[in-house]
Amino acid sequence: MEKLRKYSQYLIFLIGLLLLTAPYILSQYGLYVLQRGMQTSIVVLGLVMLTGFSGMLSLASAALMAVGGYSYYILLKYIAISPWLAVILSIVITVVIGTLLAFPSFRLSGAFLTVTTIGFAEIIRILILNLEPITGGAYGTSDFPRLVANTSHLQILMTITIVFLAIAVRRIGDSRIGLAFKAIRQDHIAAEVMGVDVKRAKTVVYALYSLFAGISGVFFATLTGYLSPDSFTTAESITPLLMVVMGMNSPVGAILSALGLTWLPEVLRFLLTSRLMVFSLILLVYIRLSSVKPKWLIQLNNMIDTKILKKNTESI
Amino acid sequence: MKNVLSIQLFIQLLINGFATGTLYALPALGLSLIWNATGAFNFAQGDLLTLGGYMMYTFYFLLDLPYPLAFTLAVVTMGIVGALLSKLYFYPMFIHKINPHITLIGTVALSVFLQNLALVIWGSTPVTYLNPFGIKPLTVSGIYIMPHVIWYIAIVAVLVTALQYFLRGTIIGTAMRAVAQNSTASWLMGIQNDRMISLTFVMSTAIAAVSGILISPIITLSPTMGGTIGVKVMASALIGGLGNFKGALIGGVLVGVAEAVFSAFFDPAYKEVFVFGLLLIFMIFRPGGIYKINITEKA
Repeated sequence: MEKLRKYSQYLIFLIGLLLLTAPYILSQYGLYVLQRGMQTSIVVLGLVMLTGFSGMLSLASAALMAVGGYSYYILLKYIAISPWLAVILSIVITVVIGTLLAFPSFRLSGAFLTVTTIGFAEIIRILILNLEPITGGAYGTSDFPRLVANTSHLQILMTITIVFLAIAVRRIGDSRIGLAFKAIRQDHIAAEVMGVDVKRAKTVVYALYSLFAGISGVFFATLTGYLSPDSFTTAESITPLLMVVMGMNSPVGAILSALGLTWLPEVLRFLLTSRLMVFSLILLVYIRLSSVKPKWLIQLNNMIDTKILKKNTESI
Repeated sequence: MKNVLSIQLFIQLLINGFATGTLYALPALGLSLIWNATGAFNFAQGDLLTLGGYMMYTFYFLLDLPYPLAFTLAVVTMGIVGALLSKLYFYPMFIHKINPHITLIGTVALSVFLQNLALVIWGSTPVTYLNPFGIKPLTVSGIYIMPHVIWYIAIVAVLVTALQYFLRGTIIGTAMRAVAQNSTASWLMGIQNDRMISLTFVMSTAIAAVSGILISPIITLSPTMGGTIGVKVMASALIGGLGNFKGALIGGVLVGVAEAVFSAFFDPAYKEVFVFGLLLIFMIFRPGGIYKINITEKA
């Protein structure tokens, strides 16, 4: 594990290289599934910081992606600015809206916070559903130009983004603010006593998370060319959360589990309608077995935790 | 209808909201019971409610059993489901002191599983059956009330009184509360924690099922229905104060009435926005809910 962590930076580049070759190997459909996986892995990377580092669950990922995607659409449709400017603006809008979620997090934790994020997500989804003149309502909308029409070019852009963001997450994890996030997860009172500005750290982690969700949302819009409230239900926020758990809170794990879990329902497609049932059952069994026959997962967590402690004591 | 505000209309709204609210209150009560007993938060409560509704649809409509028998069968089946959940998932997670976050994520996966289980068994087409309580509204001095509304309030009132008696007045109920308060101490006092926790889950699932059974004739059943109702149930539990018996009831009724009044005076399309907005306001300004509880204790 120690070694793996040391080389994780190279591992990220290796994954990036493999992803770059994908358009020449995979079929058109395979590439689409892969790109959906890559797009999901961006929001999962954000969740690695929020859930993995700071220990706050969020079921608002899909809603924030919707904010990103729909802002992109609205900016292009009604203001008709350049797509690249629209991308930046829609990410900014997502960050502003997502950071609002930090306010309940100051006083809430655990299930309370999670239900609050669902409430927030449902409000956004219902607003999109009902503000039909602007968003197209339940019919969805597809009349907007894609950011990059060529899928191989899009693949290059997404790969660069993912490699960049994964390295960023890894470096944030080791930085001062990242250690503050981890301190909050372990004991937020102790963290505050040690001089961590808990409110600031929580605001920052929510801003970062919504930044990632916004990027993911814009890519979603570009990739599918179709936006509808049905794509952003709370159920859609669940899978990123499961990916973080399976990815064991590391950026590399997050990317791999996002790609793997996006691909899994495609593999299970022969099961027809029971596909999602089997998929969720596998996840449930995984969670149950990995927690109660704990050996490797708990050992792994302990290893990461003791390592942080060691690092802290060394720096003192 | 929107412009004519008479006192009768208002009372009618309150009564209808109250009846819907009691249906939110039951599963919310189940959430509170589980929270007290194991510190786990069950995200699948809304889907257990849906499953209860589908059981009733199967027993009452498809198998054509008499109403009371179908009701009992559906509740018993769901009780068994609750016992299985406790045995296979929640109790091992509890006894090994697994991080509540992980348990929470597991219940989220469980919610997806139950939704798709209903989809596989009963199909995606929404189903409904004729309201067994009658469809002819009663008129009392200008107030129109559907008979099911009165039945709901009566059934829930009886159930809640019985539950309260069970928890406060019987030895098993006292043992259940003891486990909830301090599981180590109750173990030392000779209480079998695993059985008590199983029983808590049986009760929680059964009362969620009652709610699903009652709600099934008035709204169409669909596999995904548990999603929205589930969030409203969670909102009720949190607004009332999670872990509090009275809180769950008052939270549920508050959500039901708020929803009914808002739909009548403003746009029904935004009623969920209003309820969840209420939840957000509560969580920001009074995180413990109406009956303030110590949320840092178990969260």
